[in-house]
Amino acid sequence: MVIVTLQRNKCIGCNYCVEMASLQFQMSKKDGKSVLLNSIEKKGFFTLKSHDNSIFEDCLQAQKACPVKIITVKQV
Amino acid sequence: MTSTGKIELMAPAGNFESLQAALDNGADSIYFGVEQLNMRARASINFTLKDLSEITRRCKGKNVRTYLTLNTIIYDHDLSLVKTLLDAAKNAGVTAVIAMDQAVIAYARQINMEVHISTQINITNIETVKFYSLFADTMVMSRELSLRQVKKICDQIKKEEIKGPSGNLVEVEVFGHGALCMAVSGKCYLSLHSYNSSANRGACKQNCRKKYTVTDQETGFEIELDNEYMMSPKDLCTLDFLDQVIDTGVKVLKVEGRGRSPEYVATVIKTYREAIDAYYDDTYTKEKVVTWMGELEKVYNRGFWSGYYLGQKLGEWSDGSGSQATQKKVYVGKGVHYFPKAGIAEFKIEAYDIMLGDKLLVTGPTTGAKEFHLTGIMVNDKNSENAKKGDSCTIPLDFRIRLSDKLYKIVPS
Ligand code: SF4
Repeated sequence: MVIVTLQRNKCIGCNYCVEMASLQFQMSKKDGKSVLLNSIEKKGFFTLKSHDNSIFEDCLQAQKACPVKIITVKQV
Repeated sequence: MTSTGKIELMAPAGNFESLQAALDNGADSIYFGVEQLNMRARASINFTLKDLSEITRRCKGKNVRTYLTLNTIIYDHDLSLVKTLLDAAKNAGVTAVIAMDQAVIAYARQINMEVHISTQINITNIETVKFYSLFADTMVMSRELSLRQVKKICDQIKKEEIKGPSGNLVEVEVFGHGALCMAVSGKCYLSLHSYNSSANRGACKQNCRKKYTVTDQETGFEIELDNEYMMSPKDLCTLDFLDQVIDTGVKVLKVEGRGRSPEYVATVIKTYREAIDAYYDDTYTKEKVVTWMGELEKVYNRGFWSGYYLGQKLGEWSDGSGSQATQKKVYVGKGVHYFPKAGIAEFKIEAYDIMLGDKLLVTGPTTGAKEFHLTGIMVNDKNSENAKKGDSCTIPLDFRIRLSDKLYKIVPS
């Protein structure tokens, strides 16, 4: 399983995560911040749990690209 | 320009502490960012939309103008946030928006909000001034201009009567003090290329402020740039030729530093306030300049130079990566209570002992940044020479302190 989290309030809306993993991230037109699709929020942290291991690589790229380091990706 | 006819002193406000420090020390205007679309998007403390009314309330009370910086590059997904921010700023009574992107300029004009053209647009000639006068009343000149060039532009604005949307002559703004970067203002890719962190989205990592080794690819020969931080210029300081700056006809003098501490804002604004007032009173003297420079050196700086204003050749490089400030603050404790009738403040000492005669600093969102000398201490209701870690102590103080305030000691660095 792949677990991705996004600490959304700190997002600066730079769009890099979308470039790296466009199937998991999308930019919100409402507030200009990134949205982690199909995620569940808890205390400002958005978490996506997916059984599709093939998303790991792209999400890892997004984690690396994010300038404010608010994306984490784990494979469990 | 201010109602007094003096040049306007514009202060940075990264949070409420700095905002209050600017207000208390004589700023005529302040600039600040909200949410992510400003050049300090990365700062952990940034104002939010909810803070807008409090910012304008405090500033209006002191007749200080407020400028919202919305000066990053703007993507499609940012457009509705741009509108939300500008509508909210307009509603809260913010004076103007500092803009770079045409989408921001266009929407601000649409809702009749005053526009200032940001440094990022890099205005360097009179025709560009004319072009932007269709949209903006104030324009920041590129930092790369000399004073002679700035004066020419100011003169030409008068001569050709170039007016902004307000119907008044366009006002020229320049940078007066603070960090300069080696790139064309705000258009650097170094941070993006090395850390994926775009300066143009307000996420500059400042990796130019480091030491580098240059390698000749053909021979593998390495040159270490001895003691020079080749990409890290010293900080701009115009205090010692402020008379020449004002004589150009510039209307606004901007102090850089939204990421800086409240005591930095307090010291720099206080010093420039005195210098500006002295200029108009005809009391701006060499002796005073020496004293003022001593004050400025106390707070964060990478060494000072006059930028490109006096036409020097490029490059006065800093010889260190960090600050060369002559003093620093160390955390002592926090505010507990204030007894207004007696004029006494209670502090909890948590980290560092204090003694009679010490120079102390209190900072807080409402208090701003206030320095004072310790003239009396009581510990456990008894007069004392000092207060130690763990003590609760009371101190006579002529300003109110709050629970959210922090107490520091100022020591030489
Ligand atoms: S990369 Fe990070 S900062 Fe940029 S949009 Fe994605 S989550 Fe936000």
